[in-house]
Amino acid sequence: MVLANRVFDRKLRMAEIQLSGLTFRYPGAEDATLADLSLSVRRGEAHALLGSSGAGKSTLLNLLSGLLPAPAGSIFFDGGDVGDLEPWARKVTQVFQFPVLYEAMTVAENLAFPMRELPAAEQRRRAEDVAERLGIAVALKVRPAGLTLVQKQLVAIGKALMRPDVSLVLLDEPLTAAEPEHKWQLRQTLRALQADLGATMIYVTHDQTEALTFADRVSVLHEGRILQTGTPEALVATPDHEHVGYFVGSPGMNLLDGEIRSGRCLVNGAEIGHLQAADGPCRFGFRPEWATLTVESEEESATAGTLPVGVRATRTLGTVRGVPHGLVIAEPISGQGDIELVTRQDLDRIVAGPAALRIDPDRLLAFRDGWRIGMESVGSGS
Amino acid sequence: MNEPLNNRAWLGVLPVLLIVAFSAVIPLMTVVNYSVQDIFDVNTRLFVGLDWYRETLRDPRFLDALLRQLTFSGIVLAIELPLGVLVARSIPRDGRWVGLILVLLAVPLLIPWNVVGTIWQLFARPDIGLLGQLVNELGVPFNYTASPAHAWVTLVMMDVWHWTSLVALLAFSGLTAIPSACYQAAVMDGANTWQVFRHVELPRLKAVLVIAVLLRLMDSFMIYTEPFVLTGGGPGNSTTFLSQYLTSMAVGQFDLGPAAAFSVLYFLVVLLLCWLFYTSVIANRGNEP
Repeated sequence: MVLANRVFDRKLRMAEIQLSGLTFRYPGAEDATLADLSLSVRRGEAHALLGSSGAGKSTLLNLLSGLLPAPAGSIFFDGGDVGDLEPWARKVTQVFQFPVLYEAMTVAENLAFPMRELPAAEQRRRAEDVAERLGIAVALKVRPAGLTLVQKQLVAIGKALMRPDVSLVLLDEPLTAAEPEHKWQLRQTLRALQADLGATMIYVTHDQTEALTFADRVSVLHEGRILQTGTPEALVATPDHEHVGYFVGSPGMNLLDGEIRSGRCLVNGAEIGHLQAADGPCRFGFRPEWATLTVESEEESATAGTLPVGVRATRTLGTVRGVPHGLVIAEPISGQGDIELVTRQDLDRIVAGPAALRIDPDRLLAFRDGWRIGMESVGSGS
Repeated sequence: MNEPLNNRAWLGVLPVLLIVAFSAVIPLMTVVNYSVQDIFDVNTRLFVGLDWYRETLRDPRFLDALLRQLTFSGIVLAIELPLGVLVARSIPRDGRWVGLILVLLAVPLLIPWNVVGTIWQLFARPDIGLLGQLVNELGVPFNYTASPAHAWVTLVMMDVWHWTSLVALLAFSGLTAIPSACYQAAVMDGANTWQVFRHVELPRLKAVLVIAVLLRLMDSFMIYTEPFVLTGGGPGNSTTFLSQYLTSMAVGQFDLGPAAAFSVLYFLVVLLLCWLFYTSVIANRGNEP
């Protein structure tokens, strides 16, 4: 893909980002939108900010770009404080939720605008190069009005990469406007380009699939705080906070009230695993993939290490080696209110009624006050 | 295409056809009818073909009035359009004062046109008018009843005062429809104020500005009441525009035939101007691939 005469042969020299103690409150608002937020993004990293709407994602983006001034905390690009700089001086570019282009300019002129200080020949080479990589080279001479939504957004992505000195590319839910069938392809294009150019990108989304498939690392933002920053694998396997466990994964993590007593994990008196943590009440978490249900009447009934539950319903998602596979929705037999547990497993012989839930002891997690406790799982063998 | 199932359905269109016929087509055709006849009384009519048209087109007073009219429309458009956009840009997008500002802006539009003429007639009077007296005391001998140039300045100022609000309100509605992300993107691109206006605002204001130009072109081309009240067409004929000349011909002198021909020509000129403007805009759009 990379030819000798490519302008972007050498990777862009982009910035690494350090935020610390960032606090922001909108005038008149009671609660701070961002509270003492810290985040570091490595140079050339594809970083995703994942959070539901109202979590403070857009505010954080606007603070990064300099559209909003930060009243407290520091923003460092490559070790230099950019807190007082205008957006243009920070060399930040952004792709918005819908394609934002200069309607009266051609695509080539749009791409050229952020690098208008370069010589014309250089502008043309760079624009043609990026347009070719994004598959919009044929559209260079047209105005955006003649393009499809996806093509327009590709132009907007290209435009965000045109500045030769760009330090950071922000993407604010850039695939919102795209049809589902285009999202995957767009994301792959974007990811390939990001890796190719070594661009530092911060990708904001409320869609966990987008975050997990796009990013090297994901930060989960909730109520103005970052709950966890980690690889997609880490967010799935060891969420630091209940909310991360619940928000990441589809369906999210099961949470079950219980207690830890001398390393034994107890729910309603039933032992479901072992964890090294201080004694006391806590909440256990396990993903649907980590648990298996077996119907009571069978061999495992009431054996140690299982939790008695009642099966409510099943949802078939497909078959695995000919066996129907999907979700089982069940509820603990005693005292947990209307909590539903979901497992993901083979569905043969699962019928409504009493059953035994066995949770993979190596993977069981426990949370206290929302945060994960007992960092080392006893049975993990590591 | 499917055949209509029931031809009687066409009867449903009849009311609209009747309304359009009585409100537009029939009166217009009456005028066309008059314009090709010499009428002495109800029973004595003489078909004269295009004589009245030829006469009108050779009438120096008609041609002068037409020239004045074009000049006037050109001047007020050239002032009101940029000024209106400028005013619209300086209105805050939101906040508690926006409503009040918009209402104040709309006030000149709500004043009856002959009152507007009267207001300015008094305002600009050199002896007792606030403006006229002030200008005279500043040492400029200003008198719109004596100097054609002064009469023109007063008329243009009056029209600008009266109608810039319309352009401003239209432009403001267009500006508020621009998503804030467009502005943010421009800021991040380091665009200056002019570039923001040129590349972000102007392209998205195009549609409302086309409407504004058409409205102001047609309206200013038909201006009658205000100059009639303010200057009465004078001094001399220096502010006699087409509609005023037409009225003096039709009502004052009962030259119905020539007046009818005049009316048809007047109508055609307005139509032609609007068509020229509109097609030039559409043609521009067509050039965008």
